[in-house]
Amino acid sequence: MLSKKLFKSISAGALVLSLGITLAYAAADDVIKARQNWMKERAKALGPMVAIMKGEAPYDAAAVKASLDAVNATWEAVKDIELFAPDSAKGETVETFAKAEIWSDPEGFKAAGEAMEKAFSNLAATTDEAGFKAAFPAVGAACGGCHEKFRRPKG
Amino acid sequence: MSCHKPDPKQAGFDPSLPSGGAPLKTPIGILYPPNLTPDTQTGIGNWSDLEFVNAMQRGISKSGQHLIPAFPYTSYAAMPVGDVLDIKAYLMSLKPVTSPKRDADIPIAFLLRRGLGLWKFLGLNTTPWKPDSSQTVAWNRGSYLVNGPGHCGECHTPRNLIMVRDESRLFAGGPHPEGQGKVPGMRSLLERSRYKDKKDLATALQFGEEFGYENMASGGMRQVQINMSKLPQSDIDAIAEYLISLK
Repeated sequence: MLSKKLFKSISAGALVLSLGITLAYAAADDVIKARQNWMKERAKALGPMVAIMKGEAPYDAAAVKASLDAVNATWEAVKDIELFAPDSAKGETVETFAKAEIWSDPEGFKAAGEAMEKAFSNLAATTDEAGFKAAFPAVGAACGGCHEKFRRPKG
Repeated sequence: MSCHKPDPKQAGFDPSLPSGGAPLKTPIGILYPPNLTPDTQTGIGNWSDLEFVNAMQRGISKSGQHLIPAFPYTSYAAMPVGDVLDIKAYLMSLKPVTSPKRDADIPIAFLLRRGLGLWKFLGLNTTPWKPDSSQTVAWNRGSYLVNGPGHCGECHTPRNLIMVRDESRLFAGGPHPEGQGKVPGMRSLLERSRYKDKKDLATALQFGEEFGYENMASGGMRQVQINMSKLPQSDIDAIAEYLISLK
């Protein structure tokens, strides 16, 4: 028969273990939520530039600069979080649309990120409407290029 | 064209030419769409007009086999033969590429091809597309492009158990044919606040994610949108007018 002490330590161990698992899942959910929120914030930050592209707002260099700063701020806000941590491929209670290719093709994923950075730095270097309108589509193409490869359709 | 791209894992092929080979995952197995360039050995270089139309509109290969309906002859069947031959003329104008056919990885392919005759009886509607005189010229143009050559319904209409499109739920969306995620429905786009108006949808179709329409890229739609962006403005507007009218 199990001694009371041994039973207690086993229970405690099981409790710690199950807590640990819960925490790991919660962490995955947190990472997923953080990156989804990050994407939403970025889309919002890009909004004023998208409006100029669509012709809904006039070109305004200051507005472009503010929009680019806002995009940078979304980077700053998450710089301490590993947004695509390997254990965040699947959430416990949150659905993620991240595809397994993010982790099975790390080089492709990295290249997609670099294409984005390059597109943004080219855009930031523009000084007039013609330059802006020529440079913005590369940013969108970088968004789309990554989404197409690494995000599954939401329906 | 997008389905007939070369396999990105094989070096030396021009990705802008439809020399075929990129794997297409389907619920029944992996297909390797064939070479559509006018190469006489491995492409369609020595196909007659009749053979081309038979394949495009009835799903019958040059050698007389039933073709698997991942190839959307079920949509192309609605087109006038003249338009189908225009496509052939375009393909024949491309640079020929030697790229041999790769057999499908379908465990029951042999059996399946025999059964396809029966499937076509249920799943292949050969009624040509007809205009609706109560609608505008643009709406009709959009309806033709979406239902015929555009074959939008192949992915945006759900299928039943034997993979026949459920026409009662035309464009209602459904599971993605390659198995990951869902294809969005195209009905009631305004009511569901997917787009502001006809012009907004036309801009999305034309520029996609390059203009920040962030749902225009996933599940293969980016390639479709890039192809669509090459259409004349009037055709893009027509497609938008038709799609917006779907309730």
